[in-house]
Amino acid sequence: MTRRAKALWLGGALVALAVLGWYGWGTDSEAAGTHGATAGASQVSGAAASIGGVSQPAGAGGGPYSEAGMQSRQEQLVLWRGRYERAEQVYASYRDATRYPYDSRPIAEHPDQVRPFAPITEELKLRNSNGDEVKGLRLRTSQERVFLSGKESVKFTVAVRDENDRPLPLVIRNARAQSIPDSRAPIKLVQTSVVFSDDGTGADDASGDGTYSGRLTPATQGFENAGGTIRLLVDLAADGQQGVAHFDVVYMPDVPATWAGVREALEAGSLNFYLKAQVRQAGRYVVSARVDDANGVPFALLQFNDEVAAGTREFKLQVFGALVLDKNPAFPLRVRDVDGFLLIPDKFPDRSTMARQVGVAHVSASYPKSRFSSAEWNSEERQRYLAEYGKDAETARRRVEEFAGP
Amino acid sequence: MRFVCLTFFRQYAARAVKALAVFLVLLAGGAYATNYSLWINGRSNPNAQAGNHADFTYWGPASTAAGVNKKSVNWDGFSRVSDQNYRIRDALDCYCTGNNWCYIAAHSAGNLQIGYALSLYGGTERSKKNATPNASGVCGNSDGATQTGWNIKWVDVAAGAGGGSELANVGSWAVSDPLTSDLKTATARALYDHNQTRSKWLYMYAGSRGTLYSAVLPGQDDEAVAYHSSGGVSGSGGAGFCNPSDWFCNDLTLGTAATEGGKAKWSFHSVAFRDDGEALNHYTNGAWGGVVSKVRADMAANAN
Repeated sequence: MTRRAKALWLGGALVALAVLGWYGWGTDSEAAGTHGATAGASQVSGAAASIGGVSQPAGAGGGPYSEAGMQSRQEQLVLWRGRYERAEQVYASYRDATRYPYDSRPIAEHPDQVRPFAPITEELKLRNSNGDEVKGLRLRTSQERVFLSGKESVKFTVAVRDENDRPLPLVIRNARAQSIPDSRAPIKLVQTSVVFSDDGTGADDASGDGTYSGRLTPATQGFENAGGTIRLLVDLAADGQQGVAHFDVVYMPDVPATWAGVREALEAGSLNFYLKAQVRQAGRYVVSARVDDANGVPFALLQFNDEVAAGTREFKLQVFGALVLDKNPAFPLRVRDVDGFLLIPDKFPDRSTMARQVGVAHVSASYPKSRFSSAEWNSEERQRYLAEYGKDAETARRRVEEFAGP
Repeated sequence: MRFVCLTFFRQYAARAVKALAVFLVLLAGGAYATNYSLWINGRSNPNAQAGNHADFTYWGPASTAAGVNKKSVNWDGFSRVSDQNYRIRDALDCYCTGNNWCYIAAHSAGNLQIGYALSLYGGTERSKKNATPNASGVCGNSDGATQTGWNIKWVDVAAGAGGGSELANVGSWAVSDPLTSDLKTATARALYDHNQTRSKWLYMYAGSRGTLYSAVLPGQDDEAVAYHSSGGVSGSGGAGFCNPSDWFCNDLTLGTAATEGGKAKWSFHSVAFRDDGEALNHYTNGAWGGVVSKVRADMAANAN
């Protein structure tokens, strides 16, 4: 420590001592004064003054507070009751939710993650290219995914329904995909056409059902060097009226890692699935997997979010012991619908996806419940939060008591 | 006089020394606890200085009460969420680590920003910071230590665009800013797992004074986002939810309950305000206006 720093410390210490000495004196003086007074009016008067009330002598007007003082006290009571209610709810919900770690959750908490690979469907009023509504017609669309990488493709569907929800025959006048700038920097424009049909071939599932389907494979349609947003505009006509459908996908040419199997191990009272991967690009990976029980009932969402080095690696996904004991799933468990991506900080696109593992990726062995731990999750983070939330609740409770009291 | 001094020191010396020791330890470690209120803006923030946490241009007069030690995060409101999310993480690192705790208020696309940060970075190791930002909004390290995630008490969201907006879907926002692509409903909802808030509550404030774009936005809206987004409803965009007075549309329920019609809300999302009077629109108007007025009032009262 330099002389200057030492001098600053010494000076600070002396100032602090003086301040604390004064503070200690003042505090004690008040305490002495409080204890010396009779319980009742003078003590309550102090409290009233602290919240801006004007005290009256006890007995005058039937109470120790002025009307303004009473009103102020009532307002404070309402305020602190609200704070207490919220603080209690925050504390209790945090305590209960963190019985399991954040990466091993009941899937009921993630309602839109149960079927992650279901097409994203939307239904809106049909609009023309000017954005004007086409009366009486509704546009129903789906897209298989938003993010894709490498040689992955994405399927789109469009259908138009009338007011009676009947499908109308369509004319696909044009379907064109093109790259879109994602920043102020100019980009090389890439354009390609996408074929839509309702003949039951290619991307289309059923002939003549009024749903027209098309598929975009960026790697083979000119986007192999163009990471970023691709926007598909579909110009269509239905019932003699023109409309347009918009879709966006985000494409990255590189695939950062490839899957290489799954192993499992029952360790420390929890069941761990190790998803093996050949990692080409090091970085932060985010992986999610769903777990169903033996009866096909969705049970848990497992997540991984951590830095991973290049090479042959394993992503550890844990079925937490207490979660198994609380939810009592039938074994064997089935790991299904696994998705993962390399998270690229502070850039767009912000991710490079791994291939989806659609369907069951692994079936566990069967284990007796006795091999699982009932211990709840614990961590520095959890303790930090419980301490702070608990302190807030306790503070609010005391203030409510203070303002609700006589 | 001498007697008085001796008595004082006998009586108070031990207490003072003890208090001093605690004070110095706290001082040395930067360990004194402070609460902050962080305001995360939405789309279009051209007049504020990015990273200047004292610039409340987006919101309204800086003198207005809006929570204890309020700070304005100021991302550009123009770029993709992922491009600018470092601004949010920088501010969270600054004020919400170590012994400091934060209340968060977010508006519109600020909902996507805080949701993205919590879901994808909420469990990462963060360096504890000293709450003293430089001109870019980056703070210095306090003691060289790290912690997991940030210290956040709760989050208020006004007119949240976490579920995107149909205005972005149909190009009604004619300006082609990159952010609008993130605000397409399919993209916004696929951007991150909205349920993963690391058990922090997002209190949703939903306005319904929508007129201009009501034909585009399904159900009740505030002229920019519909209730499916501002109410934190999971699933696809395009779903219409309304106030109870509308008999022909499913209700957006208060609290955490599923909507009428059974659509679940994202976990740890609770509708704190539904604009049954159709009185509040989306826009701050530089005066803490619209739905933000409700969040400001809550922050002023309860972010203490």
